[in-house]
Amino acid sequence: MAKSKSQAITAMQTWWLLAAALSALLPLTPHVPLWLSALALTLLAGRALLNWTNRRLPARGWLILLTFAGSAGVLAQFKTLFGQNPGVALLVLFLALKPLEARTRRDGLAVIFLCYFLVLAQFFFAQSMATAGLMLATIVAVTAALGSLADARARPADLLRRSSLMLLQAVPFMLLLFVLFPRVQGPLWGLPRDAFSALTGLSDSMAPGSISNLSQSDAIAFRAKFGAKVGDTPPRDQLYWRGPVLSEFDGRTWTSERRLPLPRLAYAPQGPAIDYEVTLEAHAKPWLFALELPGQLPPDSLMTGDYQLLAKTPVTARLRYTVASHTAMTAGLDESAGVLRRALALPGDFNPRTSELANGWREKLKTDEAVLDAATRFFLTQGLRYSLTPPLLGQHSVDEFLFDSREGFCEHFAGAFVFALRAAGLPARVVTGYQGGEINPFDGYFTVRQYDAHAWAEVWLKDRGWTRIDPTALSVPSRISQNLAAAVPAGSNVPLMARLDLTLLRELRLRFDAVANTWNQWVIGYNPERQREFLNRLGMRTPDWRQMTATLAVLAGLVLLGLTAWALRQRRRTDAAQRVWLKLGRRLGRRGLPRASWEGPLAYAARIAARFPESATEIRAISALYGRLRYGSLDPVLLDELKTRVTRFQP
Amino acid sequence: MRIAAALQDRFIRWALRVRPPEPAPVILTQRRVYVLPTRAGIGYAASLLVMLLGAMNYNLSLGYALTFLLAGLGVIAILHTFRNLAHLSLAPGRVEPVFAGDSARFTLLLHNARADERRQVQLRLAGGMSGIVDVPAHSSAAARLAVPALARGWLALPRVTLDTVWPLGLIRAWAYAVPDMRCLVYPRPTGTAVPPPPTFGGRAGNAARNPQGSEDFLALRGHQLADPPRHVAWKTAARLGADAPLMTKQYADPAAQTVWLAWDVLPTAMPVEERLSWLTRWVLDAHAAGLSWGLRLPGSQLAPAGGEAHLHACLRRLALHGKE
Amino acid sequence: MLSPSIRKPLEHVVRATGTVILGKEGQIRLALACLLARGHLLIEDLPGVGKTTLAHALAQLLGLSFQRIQFTSDMLPADILGVSVFDRDSGAFRFHPGPVFTHVVLADEVNRATPKTQSALLEAMEERQVTAEGLTRPLPEPFFVIATQNPSTQIGTYPLPESQLDRFLMRIELGYPDRAAERDLLAGVDRREILAGLQPCLAPEELLAHQKSVRAVQVSEALIDYIQALIAQTREAPDWQAGLSPRAALALLAASRAWAWLEGRDHVLPDDVQTVLPGVACHRLHPAGESIARLSPAEVAARLIEAVPIP
Repeated sequence: MAKSKSQAITAMQTWWLLAAALSALLPLTPHVPLWLSALALTLLAGRALLNWTNRRLPARGWLILLTFAGSAGVLAQFKTLFGQNPGVALLVLFLALKPLEARTRRDGLAVIFLCYFLVLAQFFFAQSMATAGLMLATIVAVTAALGSLADARARPADLLRRSSLMLLQAVPFMLLLFVLFPRVQGPLWGLPRDAFSALTGLSDSMAPGSISNLSQSDAIAFRAKFGAKVGDTPPRDQLYWRGPVLSEFDGRTWTSERRLPLPRLAYAPQGPAIDYEVTLEAHAKPWLFALELPGQLPPDSLMTGDYQLLAKTPVTARLRYTVASHTAMTAGLDESAGVLRRALALPGDFNPRTSELANGWREKLKTDEAVLDAATRFFLTQGLRYSLTPPLLGQHSVDEFLFDSREGFCEHFAGAFVFALRAAGLPARVVTGYQGGEINPFDGYFTVRQYDAHAWAEVWLKDRGWTRIDPTALSVPSRISQNLAAAVPAGSNVPLMARLDLTLLRELRLRFDAVANTWNQWVIGYNPERQREFLNRLGMRTPDWRQMTATLAVLAGLVLLGLTAWALRQRRRTDAAQRVWLKLGRRLGRRGLPRASWEGPLAYAARIAARFPESATEIRAISALYGRLRYGSLDPVLLDELKTRVTRFQP
Repeated sequence: MRIAAALQDRFIRWALRVRPPEPAPVILTQRRVYVLPTRAGIGYAASLLVMLLGAMNYNLSLGYALTFLLAGLGVIAILHTFRNLAHLSLAPGRVEPVFAGDSARFTLLLHNARADERRQVQLRLAGGMSGIVDVPAHSSAAARLAVPALARGWLALPRVTLDTVWPLGLIRAWAYAVPDMRCLVYPRPTGTAVPPPPTFGGRAGNAARNPQGSEDFLALRGHQLADPPRHVAWKTAARLGADAPLMTKQYADPAAQTVWLAWDVLPTAMPVEERLSWLTRWVLDAHAAGLSWGLRLPGSQLAPAGGEAHLHACLRRLALHGKE
Repeated sequence: MLSPSIRKPLEHVVRATGTVILGKEGQIRLALACLLARGHLLIEDLPGVGKTTLAHALAQLLGLSFQRIQFTSDMLPADILGVSVFDRDSGAFRFHPGPVFTHVVLADEVNRATPKTQSALLEAMEERQVTAEGLTRPLPEPFFVIATQNPSTQIGTYPLPESQLDRFLMRIELGYPDRAAERDLLAGVDRREILAGLQPCLAPEELLAHQKSVRAVQVSEALIDYIQALIAQTREAPDWQAGLSPRAALALLAASRAWAWLEGRDHVLPDDVQTVLPGVACHRLHPAGESIARLSPAEVAARLIEAVPIP
């Protein structure tokens, strides 16, 4: 029975559409090209001006022209029209253009639906609590605009109230669906290549300065949750989260070896294990982090020959996995000769001073252990300082660091140490990853941030296999025992969260982190596994989609029933005295003497008195009392009297 | 198309449940209110499906949340729209008689016993006539529906469809009602250029005014002793002085003009409806001229009188001639 | 609660009037309520049912001056209001006050006079003053008009137009006395003798004070809602040609207050409104359709009352 022709929209409805479009577009402006934001806002402003001055909309030709020009701009910007970013840009363009041809309700609906799509698009870029809150405000505004399309005369405050109320009532459904709707792990089809382009983290190469850049960021790298007991958390000096292993050196940059990872451990785990769960932030690289050394592979992961844990695909969404690590184990006793050969390779003509020093050790000392001792002692006594802003180094970077500037960050320490050992004939390699982390007292999660990025050395000894040596710890023990801020000189530009002096701020931040982590764990990270785990905990032993759907249907039905009861309830204005009187009427109604809706208190009393002559005096007194309370003044004492007398009135 | 129309007709008859017309007040109980999505609602659902696919593909947890929130909103919209119509009570209001050829205006009173306003309730008649009303909380609102009055006699209010898409326009709730209402349709008066009615019986001439009346001042004449003292023109006496003779004010009643408007005086060959049209015109003219008139129809007559009440009594008699 | 001693004289008035007009206590109370509400009363009934006696008895018991004006078709406004007569001795006009200058006026058979004369009386009722020869003369307080009207079916009448009817607070019908009352009437003493023997039990100033206290009777929000609902019903329902005016609503409220006061309450109940409703509303309402037109005022009022739930 829909009308064939859609109704024209009014000026007020146009304002609502513009407000909805603006509230959907504004939060997206940081994520689309600047020229597009400017164009979109200009178009909306132009539409607002036309509405204000009550002028006609531009001809269709102009709009087609603008659409083509805008699409061409998007094409020029992104070189394609397909993919996530160009898609969002096109949606922004359409939403900015659609109000300029919105004449009827149907056009208005198109604007509203576009707004909802753009809210979804916002979640490509951020899914934090703040984003969620902002988007909720947008949804309220857009829904109010939808309401205005159905009720042109409604006042704005009423529309906003109605939309808020309805969204509030929709929340139970949302929660039920969120928890119980059978989740599938995406993607359903190939993701565009440009997704997740702006993520930070460790890379698979290390040059002087690459890790100190990371140390400027207090973004979270991953969180770990150890067992509930205090003793479950290993001591700080064992918290080496292994990441990319770099064994190739070209004189300046350390890079990792390209070797095929295998879906099994490269060693036999031994010794006691610590169980924990890691929630890794997306970093667009395949590496996973685990304490040295993991005792099993997390699902869908591989391991390289140099004990580096890798996911099968780059981590483009927050990833949760459980691992058990053996912190005190020996690995690599039977390392192949090829690996050891590669762990000795050095490019020629670099760092002659260090090479000379190392050759000296080799010649003087007999055993590998003694050489290692000498190197260690050298690092301890050389007076090396830890700094976030080391001076720039030239071609012989190791020499300049060890003998001239003597100031560096962990990559300098690790790089120089491994170089020295290799020069002395000991197989060694650089391991990057994170060191330390911080326990959040509010939720017990161990938080590892980008400024915890670290590099250390691994040396192969005949009877000990691959052994971890942290040259930074040798020179600057506080880097390991406390954290970055304790290690660097005062006044260094340390990220806020790493500073030890701002207690209150840190506490607030920790608190917020705990909430944000809960949000990430349970809302953003609610994936098929988490869903199964959660439903398991709720008592559903083998939650499959059929069971979930059935539960969902039953619970949603119950909610709907409750809301229907609310919807059909007739709220009447009654005062206390009237309630008592109506009760009396209902009670006597069951005895065949109901009160007519139009019957005054005296008339009803007279009717009751005629039926029950022996109670005549009492009912007359009650009705007089009721009349006084309802139509005179409400005296609480008399109200109580009325209540007792009505209760006692049993003719 | 014919089958669809027939099916719809059957549905409406089943949906009404009561054999029309229904006694007042008609309460739209929840069983009488039907709900279906509008085109906009179907579009909304389709959009949600696309959003759900997007959320799945990109693993956007908040995308899921958004889709589910909007899905919940859709469900809530059903309730709100349904609630906007359910338990609305409908009572017949005033209906003024009209002449055939005009539009009969039926006033329907919508009563809202709930503490929330009901907005944007649309009333439609089968002919396509519609009106939109808002019914405030604990209050009533009047909706006026126009129906073309084609023939004289009683015109019953056709079936009314009440519907609403408030508050979001995604869902449409509707109900049917046939309140017991009818409008009296007077015969259409024939054109103005009709000969005046032939008069007979009891028509007094203009000159025959009763000089002993008491209503209108007529003239002054010499005072006679028997004249009542309050008829003495005291002001004139004062102006003329003490010696002048007193004058007496004379009054007259307005001439009572009476006409008989009769069925018989019209040519026998004239069809019934045309006769009634003529009589209607005559009645209206007589009333406009301030006359006193009587109406004589086959089998009944109304005694001469004047005024609004008499006018309507006569018109009613003409409207219902041969129909009751 | 009002103290009973205040109302005692008025109870006496009701009882004493009841000795003259037998079996009509309800109507006597309504008449008294009308007087207390500072309204005027229209009694519509056949000749000889005791209209004059009622007016006379009320005036006498309340200690008020009383004038009876018999309306005829040749009556002029001056016959009621008074006339300026040229005094030949002083050479100036002298105003002779008409019969309207009194506390209680019984305007008998008011519909026999011409509309012009009727309207002169009604204007005086409304304004409680008389303007003649450029001079405004106030009427005495309290001022109370009891007009009687023959049923309009009788010949030779000028029925009061609607706008004039609206000026009467109430219209009541006396009706024939019931069998027992009529028997008492026939068997008992001559009414005129009892009438002459009635002693005033109230001073005019006391009556004015009572009128004032009636206006202080409490009216709750709920009751105003009820009155509004009644008025709205008359305006919206198809039973009536036109609804009650705001003036009628005020009249209903005033009459209800007076009735509640007479009943000894300091607040108005819906029952009070329902009791005075036939008297206050029925002469202002014009039924639409023949089925309602045939109903008596009480039935019409019942139809209205039963359509409106008490909030």
